[in-house]
Amino acid sequence: MSSSSSSSSSPPCPKKMITLKSSDGETFEIEEIAALQSKTLENMIDENCASTPIPLPNVKGKILAKVVEFCTKHAEAGADAETLRAWDAEFVGVEHAIVFDYILAANFLEIPTLLDLACESVAEMIKGKTPDEIRKFFNINNAFSPEEEEDVRRQNQWAFE
Amino acid sequence: MEIQPSFATDYLASGPRLVAAAVATALCLLLAFAFLLLSVVSSKSKKPPSSSSPSAKQPASLKACDCPCTCGSSVLDSDSDSAPMAVGKTYANGGGVVEAAAAAERQSGASMMEQLVPEITTHALSYLDYPSLCRLSMTNSLMRKAANDDNAWKALYHKDFTLEQDSVTPVNGWKAYYAATRAIVNINSDFFNIIRERSLQSMSRLWLNADYVKCVHASGELFSGYNAVIQSWQLAFNWDQGVDFQVRDVRVRVLTDMAWVTMKTFVDMDTGPFNVTNVFEFHNGQWYMVHHHSSVMLIDGDVDQQNIHG
Repeated sequence: MSSSSSSSSSPPCPKKMITLKSSDGETFEIEEIAALQSKTLENMIDENCASTPIPLPNVKGKILAKVVEFCTKHAEAGADAETLRAWDAEFVGVEHAIVFDYILAANFLEIPTLLDLACESVAEMIKGKTPDEIRKFFNINNAFSPEEEEDVRRQNQWAFE
Repeated sequence: MEIQPSFATDYLASGPRLVAAAVATALCLLLAFAFLLLSVVSSKSKKPPSSSSPSAKQPASLKACDCPCTCGSSVLDSDSDSAPMAVGKTYANGGGVVEAAAAAERQSGASMMEQLVPEITTHALSYLDYPSLCRLSMTNSLMRKAANDDNAWKALYHKDFTLEQDSVTPVNGWKAYYAATRAIVNINSDFFNIIRERSLQSMSRLWLNADYVKCVHASGELFSGYNAVIQSWQLAFNWDQGVDFQVRDVRVRVLTDMAWVTMKTFVDMDTGPFNVTNVFEFHNGQWYMVHHHSSVMLIDGDVDQQNIHG
């Protein structure tokens, strides 16, 4: 092996890892390739800000761990669409409060695949429920007065005929 | 004397705030208690000689130590409503805290749905179908505003009906336009079901009883006036075997009390396909058919001849 350009004797393509720090101080390592799925992180990598741990004050450790898992899984080469879809379905098959956290994290980190997945999951939770069931499920307070309620019901009647 | 009643009303009005304050106080008390317990326990466990391992024991006491006010303040800056949630979540140890955290999380689950950044809400709503979107708008006034968003209904219109009319601005907003379009699509389907069933009675109820209504059948014959039109349908129903057909490419344009629909009907290899136009008018809270025109569709090979003629 004649020395031409490389000064270090490290193997050709070492897996470059990025460190992320959650709002509650936990640190997580993620491969750079996986991190590129997040536009926010991609920008930071491009601007060479990724050498030190990146603080993410809007994301809790519990959620960040799952986000790292998601990005790593989706960055895997050679994963076929079927298994990935099944994996995705399992990923969002959790309590809706956690899915909301995924949405906020995906929005902050600009991960379109996760955002779409989580939003679709929330939409599935809403579909098929009556207004009362929706209220109970998401713990929404009913702020309508009886007249308003009647008004709203009348306005939306066309959808249920 | 007068101070007390107003204080009471203020007190009652700020219910959720009161609960949050009570939870915070309870948590602080519990924390103090837990801290006391921990310091007692750790002092007892330090007795056996372990020169290197005190560092392992340290994290337990450190956690109880650095949590209380520092964590609370850093997470609180953006969202004041999540105060109980922030304080509750930082404690891993301590038993009674879990309940308070769960209650706070349930409360924050509600505010979370309603406090999603508008663009995320629109994105999530784009996956809903129209009945779900309507039901969501019936939950509370904030959701009503989100679920009645004009752009959401415009996107749904383009998804469910057609990409046409992109430059149109409906007078009453896109939700109303969607509703009107859906009504016309339904009545248009009714028209074809009536033909399939060959029900003259239903057909005579569908048409407006007026002298200006017209019907042009695929044969090329024009019938004018309610009576003639209904008679023509009677003939058609008696004549035809009752074929089944498919209706495609339905395009609707709705104005306040008038609507027209274009579509294509496909019968079989020997008959059709046909281009069809229907026109409806709105009277007395109901849509009536006022015009129907069916003509044989030109198939690719004949196009050149048509250009020469016209």
